[in-house]
Amino acid sequence: MANIMNSLYDMRLLDDLARKETFIHRLHPMVKLVITIVYLIAVVSFDRYEIGALLSFLFYPVLVFAFAELPIASILKRVLLIEPFIIGIGILNPFFDHQLIVIGGITISRGWVTFLSLFIKCGLTVTAALLLIATTGMDRLAGALRMLKIPRLFVLQLLLTYRYISVLMEEVARTLRAYSLRAPAQQGIHRSVWGSLAGQLILRTFERAQRVYQAMCLRGFTGEYLTGVNEKIKTLDVAYLVAWILFFAVARIYNIPMLIGLLITGVIK
Amino acid sequence: MSHHKVEVKNLHYTYPDGHKAVNDLSFQIHHGESVGIIGANGAGKSTLLLLLMGVLFPSQGEVCVGDVHVTKKTLPNIRQRMGMVFQDPDDQLFMTTVYDDVAFGPRNYKLDEKEVEQRVLQALEMVGILHLKDRAPFKLSGGEKRSAAIASVLSMHPDILIMDEPTAALDPKSRRRVMRLLKSFEHTKIITSHDLDMVFELCDRTIVINKGEIVVDGLSSEILANAELLDTCGLEMPLGLQNCPICGITVKNEK
Ligand SMILES: Nc1ncnc2c1ncn2[C@@H]1O[C@H](COP(=O)(O)OP(=O)(O)OP(=O)(O)O)[C@@H](O)[C@H]1O
Ligand SMILES: [Mg+2]
Repeated sequence: MANIMNSLYDMRLLDDLARKETFIHRLHPMVKLVITIVYLIAVVSFDRYEIGALLSFLFYPVLVFAFAELPIASILKRVLLIEPFIIGIGILNPFFDHQLIVIGGITISRGWVTFLSLFIKCGLTVTAALLLIATTGMDRLAGALRMLKIPRLFVLQLLLTYRYISVLMEEVARTLRAYSLRAPAQQGIHRSVWGSLAGQLILRTFERAQRVYQAMCLRGFTGEYLTGVNEKIKTLDVAYLVAWILFFAVARIYNIPMLIGLLITGVIK
Repeated sequence: MSHHKVEVKNLHYTYPDGHKAVNDLSFQIHHGESVGIIGANGAGKSTLLLLLMGVLFPSQGEVCVGDVHVTKKTLPNIRQRMGMVFQDPDDQLFMTTVYDDVAFGPRNYKLDEKEVEQRVLQALEMVGILHLKDRAPFKLSGGEKRSAAIASVLSMHPDILIMDEPTAALDPKSRRRVMRLLKSFEHTKIITSHDLDMVFELCDRTIVINKGEIVVDGLSSEILANAELLDTCGLEMPLGLQNCPICGITVKNEK
């Protein structure tokens, strides 16, 4: 059952990372939220056949990784977890879209191009979302959502789901550990106990969630999740926001990799 | 001062599955008293505490804090004055850091962040885990978690402190620290425990519960020295009151 415990610790990794103290972490959460939203819209708005122009959007995650001192491997691992779904969705494209195009002397079907662009878009957007959480933390992010006037109920739901998932996973992990210790010779869980184990898990996690909620109420919880941070937007935050939005706008309108290419070949000529 | 009084009248509680956990309990706890509630496993101690806090509502009878009935309407007021430490600290800790967890209560009462910080640091200092403030609660040891859970209640400055087995899973030094802490806490205390030595030291009064009913309610010094009585309730005299096993004088409770 080590893998389940590991994924549990993995899940908390983003929380741990969010407590770092770098320049990016100290930025106002709302600024980071807005940048991420603009980024997502810009990436998604690209046409299916534009791969070249999309590449300039790699610049954003790379810089954030570097400045926020985040471990690239463990975050990319999470992104890769999502990619199989995208492959599942996009794999049929090459079969449906047979039109041929020529890129740099190689002839391929347009289906592969759309597939690749889907793959890249997904990678970029998921990475951006994970980076947002890893540099801001769920609590501050929720604060930012509240500042953007998202209804309290939605924000609270998001936060509590996020909190409860880890609480519930701990419960699952404990039950499974107890099972595996008493059934040491088995691989996985025997079919005959699936039913009762699943039932147990549901009841136990439910009870646990209820007790956690009771404990929260006893400490005066009334539905408003207060994190105590009431940050002000500083000039640095505004500058950071404006700089990225300008970059996204330019990168969206002009094909920067192509321009650079032209510039270089122009110089050579 | 009667406003920190806790009164229970003919309290009954049956769990939804039909299990009768509390059966006709009545007692009064006055301001500043410290009361130990003891009894075997499953006697109904935790259930009683949940009833006092208004987490569960009695099927019959009533609970009054001060002169106010515990009902859904009066709960917010009452809970501000009572703090409860749960038997399982995992139920109580769910934020990402110990600091945020201890700050959760004060923040809910909308104190300003300076005051919150002061209260949190003070509470952490009191239980001696100031060095753990930036750790994630799920990475702590059992005893450290318990200390954090106690701090999370102390930071709310309750008038009435209710603790379900506060010293379970603590090492001897931490146990001492918690006991000293509880001793210095002048308000009303209600403590359940299997640590009868602690009850003997901290509580002047003891209530013994067996199968959801009160067996005796009286001075700790009398009840905890009554080996026969304790034996019928599945308990044993505190080690501090038993004869020394090495000097060999007959142990009283093995009649
Ligand atoms: N959620 C529940 N549903 C049904 N019965 C319960 C529930 N919780 C407790 N009980 C039953 O109620 C009785 C009293 O339980 P309680 O938890 O109050 O005991 P306790 O005195 O705190 O014991 P311990 O010393 O082991 O903590 C027990 O017999 C228990 O089986
Ligand atoms: Mg109990």
